[in-house]
Amino acid sequence: MSAVEAGRKGRRRDLADVGLRSWAILVYVFLFLPILVIVVYSFNNGRAMITWNGVGLNGYRTGLTDPTIQDAVKTSIVAAVGTAVMATILGSFAGIALARRKGKWTILFLALVFLILVTPEIVEAIALLLWYVRLGGPFGPHTPIPGISYGMVRLWVGHSLFATAVVTLIVRARLQGLDETLEEAAADLYATPARRFRQITLPLMLPAVLAGALLAFSFSLDDTIISSFVSVAGASPWPVYVFSAVRNALRPEVASVSTLLLTLTLIAIASVALVLRRSGQSSKDVAKTMTVGG
Amino acid sequence: MALPAWVWFLCFFTLPVLWIVYYSFGYKPDIYHPIATDKLSLGSYHEAFSRAFVHVFSQTLQISIIGTSLCLLIAFPFAYWLATRVSPRWRGVLLGLVVVPFFVNFLIRTVGWLILLSPAGPVSSLLQRWGLRSEPLHLLQTRGAVQLGVVYNYLALMILPLFVTLDRLDPAMREASKDLGANRVKTFRQITLPLAAPGIVAGLLLVFIPLTGDYITALVLGGAKGNMAGVVVASQFTIAQDWALGAAQAVILIAMIMGTVAVFGLFAIAIRAIVRVSRRITLPPVAEEAV
Repeated sequence: MSAVEAGRKGRRRDLADVGLRSWAILVYVFLFLPILVIVVYSFNNGRAMITWNGVGLNGYRTGLTDPTIQDAVKTSIVAAVGTAVMATILGSFAGIALARRKGKWTILFLALVFLILVTPEIVEAIALLLWYVRLGGPFGPHTPIPGISYGMVRLWVGHSLFATAVVTLIVRARLQGLDETLEEAAADLYATPARRFRQITLPLMLPAVLAGALLAFSFSLDDTIISSFVSVAGASPWPVYVFSAVRNALRPEVASVSTLLLTLTLIAIASVALVLRRSGQSSKDVAKTMTVGG
Repeated sequence: MALPAWVWFLCFFTLPVLWIVYYSFGYKPDIYHPIATDKLSLGSYHEAFSRAFVHVFSQTLQISIIGTSLCLLIAFPFAYWLATRVSPRWRGVLLGLVVVPFFVNFLIRTVGWLILLSPAGPVSSLLQRWGLRSEPLHLLQTRGAVQLGVVYNYLALMILPLFVTLDRLDPAMREASKDLGANRVKTFRQITLPLAAPGIVAGLLLVFIPLTGDYITALVLGGAKGNMAGVVVASQFTIAQDWALGAAQAVILIAMIMGTVAVFGLFAIAIRAIVRVSRRITLPPVAEEAV
């Protein structure tokens, strides 16, 4: 290769580098533009969110004191915690079973999980609403579980379907990637099944369980469609409040509360990432575990 | 151990969905009752295939096919850059940055675009202030706004699987190809692209499926011109109170998604067969794709 040719190749490589990097910057701008807009408009002092009327903290003041908004955020958090607990327990056991006790039911169960993931959420929401109305019991106003609003039970069950499917897949993927001989070795060393689970399987699958719980929590916080169909007055979560605001009147406090929630979410993600990092994963692995569970 | 999850899914997914299928054979008896099932017929399906609904379904399919393709075109160079040009130290942080918007509420993200695109919003007022436009922009309630919104809302689902496969790709493969005299285009076509195929397929599915069933983006950003099937299905339950028709449309929507995925799957298998025959070398199998 002559020097000229090498130089030309090098320059072409630089050009490709610059092109790819500019593209990446554009993608980041695109991804963060609407988020930035929400953060900026949370400081809008006007009455309507979209019409800019000077910088101020009116939105935050109203957002933090309005009892309807407080109830909505509280409902969201209770729904998300319940969903995360239910989905993590159901999904972890299902994931272990799929990875370690393969049988003729495995394929069928995976097919069902796949169906849940591909069914449009709007269809699931409508189907669940009609089903709840038909079932009654703890899902209806007449015979609720004492102390728990039937609206909350509806949210927990509705959100936990998709979340359980996701946790199942994440835990299964993690266990399949791990060497089963570790568990066999523990058994050979006379560990009881309970001890084997506690000392070998559980620590190994913990990152996946943690990631699954986080995803289940954020899925529940994020969910608008199922919530807006199955929730009832008095137990309607934050996205349902925003949804009705979009249709009636958007005020700056919607942006303010969203900004606060975003900050909380980021802190939660960062702490989970830190925990995973402490357990010895590289930053890339952490990001991967938290997004795709691999 | 999977038994509790089995019971859970059967009680709260399979049965409710079957219930919807059952309702789709019913009819609306009068204006006071949303559903009757004493006589079962295909009447609702007949009605669902009338011209207005077929138009919405074909528009939905167009929006989702264009949207999925745009996601792939935007995400591939980006994921390639992240996997091959960024030092491993920064890769995790930059990948995390992609995920951050994804953790913002779906609806709030869409409201962000609602502000950006509204006639009184920043884009419109800046254009007017700079004298580039004399009147406010009217971008909302159009198909273009919905198209933009869905690409934005589902882009991360394309970036992640693409990144995972491209990241697993051993750089030595590309170098070997270049050492053997292949130019950049040939290396990309014969090494990178085939090895990234599982990620591409996963990304296309992850974006296409929820995009076709989208409800919120179309409701917030689109009007009559940007209508999608999910909105029409929901309106049968929230406004029109015709459950049989809504159920039939829901069944058609699911069938449309699965049908498109099946056609795409057959197409992908055919392409793979053609490539296998035309390519002389066999590449080692790639690890199973994520998700």
